[in-house]
Amino acid sequence: MFGKLTWDAIPWSQPIPLVAGSVVVLVVLAVLAWVALKGYLPYLWREWITSVDHKRIGVMYTLLGLVMLLRGFIDAIMMRSQQAIAFRAAGYLPPEHYDQIFSAHGTIMIFFAAMPIIIGLMNFAVPLQLGVRDVAFPTLNSTSFWLTATGALLVNISLVIGEFARTGWLVYPPLSELPYSPGVGVDYYLWALLISGVGTLMTGINFVTTILKIRAPGMSYLRMTIFCWTALAANLLIVAAFPILTATLGMLAFNYRSMVAATMFICLVSYLVWMHHFFTMGAGADVNAFFGISTSIIAVGTGVKIYNWLFTMYGGRIRFTTPMLWSVGFLVTFTIGGMTGVLLAVPPADFLLHNSLFLVAHFHNVIIAGVIFAAFAGVTYWFPKAFGFKLDEGWGKAAFWLSLLGFYVVFVPLYVAGLLGMTRRLQHYDVAAWRPWVLVAGIGIIIMMAAAACQVVQFVVSIRRREQLRDETGDPWDGRSLEWATASPPPPFNFAVLPNVQGAEPYWGIKQRAIETQQLSAEPRYEPIEMPRNSPTGFITAFFSTLTGFALIWHIWWLVGLGLVAAYAVFVWFAWRDAVEYSIPAEEVARYDRERRRAREQWLAQHAGQPA
Amino acid sequence: MDAAELTIREGIARYVIGFVLASVLTAASFYVLNTSLIWGPGIPVALVVLAIAQMGVHLVFFLHITTAPDNTNNVLALAFGVLIVALVIGGSLWIMDHLSQNVMPMHQMMQMQR
Amino acid sequence: MSATDTPFERASDPYRVGRSRDWVSTGAGRGYVYATGHGEGGPASKRVIVGYGFWIFLLSDIVMFSAFFAAHAVLQTATAGGPSGRDLFNWWSIVAQTAFLLVSSFTCGLSAVATEARDQLWTQVALLVTGLFGLGFLVLEGRDFAGMVMQGAGPQRSAFLSSLFAVVGLHGLHVSAGLLWLGTMMAQVFVKGFRPEILRRLVCFNLFWHALDIIWVALFTIVYLIGLGR
Repeated sequence: MFGKLTWDAIPWSQPIPLVAGSVVVLVVLAVLAWVALKGYLPYLWREWITSVDHKRIGVMYTLLGLVMLLRGFIDAIMMRSQQAIAFRAAGYLPPEHYDQIFSAHGTIMIFFAAMPIIIGLMNFAVPLQLGVRDVAFPTLNSTSFWLTATGALLVNISLVIGEFARTGWLVYPPLSELPYSPGVGVDYYLWALLISGVGTLMTGINFVTTILKIRAPGMSYLRMTIFCWTALAANLLIVAAFPILTATLGMLAFNYRSMVAATMFICLVSYLVWMHHFFTMGAGADVNAFFGISTSIIAVGTGVKIYNWLFTMYGGRIRFTTPMLWSVGFLVTFTIGGMTGVLLAVPPADFLLHNSLFLVAHFHNVIIAGVIFAAFAGVTYWFPKAFGFKLDEGWGKAAFWLSLLGFYVVFVPLYVAGLLGMTRRLQHYDVAAWRPWVLVAGIGIIIMMAAAACQVVQFVVSIRRREQLRDETGDPWDGRSLEWATASPPPPFNFAVLPNVQGAEPYWGIKQRAIETQQLSAEPRYEPIEMPRNSPTGFITAFFSTLTGFALIWHIWWLVGLGLVAAYAVFVWFAWRDAVEYSIPAEEVARYDRERRRAREQWLAQHAGQPA
Repeated sequence: MDAAELTIREGIARYVIGFVLASVLTAASFYVLNTSLIWGPGIPVALVVLAIAQMGVHLVFFLHITTAPDNTNNVLALAFGVLIVALVIGGSLWIMDHLSQNVMPMHQMMQMQR
Repeated sequence: MSATDTPFERASDPYRVGRSRDWVSTGAGRGYVYATGHGEGGPASKRVIVGYGFWIFLLSDIVMFSAFFAAHAVLQTATAGGPSGRDLFNWWSIVAQTAFLLVSSFTCGLSAVATEARDQLWTQVALLVTGLFGLGFLVLEGRDFAGMVMQGAGPQRSAFLSSLFAVVGLHGLHVSAGLLWLGTMMAQVFVKGFRPEILRRLVCFNLFWHALDIIWVALFTIVYLIGLGR
């Protein structure tokens, strides 16, 4: 009746997952109960869960990613603390559990933390920067998000029901095959990734189509922001493979065209490097040489971008606000990580360093800098646009400096330990030379915990102080791209009238004109706007996907059939609806827009006579 | 890819031509396998060429992917897809071939374990 | 915006390349724009957007197939002492499957012509014939698979057979899903008529069905014809 599922699937005899799982279940139930009792459920269902608005979906993606970042970070804390005490000792995590932790850490961080955060930022910003109302396929967008959430949910369920894979996050055979992994762990991994992978693929299709086919009039390819170009490159990579993500600074770079060229160069060459994971597998010198060279060549394109950013900063006046700090932190740290990458790209060197802590330090170096620092820059930068108030600068800066310091204190010792021969994924070790470095890394993780705490406090304090931090005009950073032309938060339709893009920095030109003439441009003629209807399709599809995934893992075949039939029924039901859009009357559009114009006229009046 | 302003007759004609061409190419493929007309080792090459030609017929006559200016985005996307497919298949074959030359066969490896 | 559109928007693509002297509808209700070839024409029409998005999806699907193809190409001789293609393949069944799929692709194209002419009867007839030939294809393929399993040549017998069942089976799964979609489309066209969103979905279905035939061309060439020679 329930396949392989029995009460023994719950880890009664293992205190750590049992307690951790119970705490999580209790917290989730408590939050759900609070939401229900306060009467927020109808609002949440109407405005968020069934929303097909890219801004809402972007916020949900980013929130999912940040929560899973915390979960993955807890895995990291456990690994560092285990290694800190497990010198010629067993530590507190038995191997069967430790192996699940490092596998879950990698899987969660890449697929359910980094990717959702970046996809969330792209979701929020790209349509606004393109000057349009939404992405190409809004309901598909919602479905993508909920399927990603399904994958994350399945991985978290494995903590309490069953187990996770013990194979590392790339689940190589033969370890991942049935004789060596007889449990359900690998199944959890597979179905979580397959289901969320469908969602990610649909996101890739959505954004490639949006960026190539839906832009404001006048916005030619070379007038898009660099962020949109990197979004295009990343989504092309999603469509053909899964992307290596970079976020970027959204201002006019030193040389726009060379940035575009470098970005697409990296996009292309990154398809040619994949064998660098397998230098030691025995393919021989010819194959290794090709991939070693292609891996090194990618550094050229990256170098172009790094120099571009440096020269851009050199030519400008810099305000060291929190987003800027994160961005500079990214530049420095990513460059160092890239250099160790070029070291590893040399096959003979890799033969010594493959699967050592040197490798681990390298990829955390580029990923934490390239994704996490950049993501926090993006989150801090776009937060006022999404919610109407800025984040607290003080706590933001504290979080940054502690993150920067903590990162180096954790990973520089790991570079050294790797060079001294320490392998990755060790549950315990007995080489005395490694011990001091592992201990220092253990201290570093405590610093990173403080940084994480500062992030949480930053959000709490900012929400408490939101009136003082209010973004009145919608342009808190004196921005240049189109999203800063809207109110904060933007109305559902983004732009009352699609902007007519004249030059390379569409909003900057408009703003300069307004400041010079001390007035806004003439009020446009307002027309009714058609927007796509919200739909529960995404949520319901994901619900049945979760059931189907869980059933496939535990071999509950009747539930698999039921889930698939139900998912198909949802498609048909969605396809049958007659009312696809709803109309926002011109008066309402006018009301939103006049409010926005009033706020900006007020700003103009307050800053009369000041230079731009 | 989008239906141009064709009459019904022109529309049907397009599909008929595509169907006839595809049938001829399919028949040719099956024929090539059985005939001694082509030098043995060249047969796989001939088959691949015929397959690519038939895919082209499908693309042009059934999917309407042409070189017309309004089709450029579609052609670029197709080229991107073809590139990825070539890298995946070509790269895999190249690497696996080298691996099979350099790495000890599995059964020999297992024997060494005993 | 949609009140002034024609019932089925002509596919207007402001992103067409080249300095065409044609004025292009932006589809955004903003009138007409000169298409400069640099992508300045504003948002494209829904027809173009949906068609392009589905085309990208098809390409991603083909990339997925290419991974399965690569695996099979590598493992075509890994028969583990068991039966090879020559021992197993039913020549006439493969010929029939190829013919069925090609004919179904043709009739699918005819249904597109009927749809352009807004002819309910011929659209349904052509779609039905398409479905029947697709079903015939699946029946033949299913019988082949069952026969192979009965002979002890199922997917567990050897790496060659695993990869064969995987790539051919994946294609068969796509055909099955396509038939399910076809049935749904026939019902929708019958109940709702030739509305813009129905027409867009029919375009997508056409693309999908033709793409499946393209993949079959690769499949029968590499798996069966080249496999027979090994």
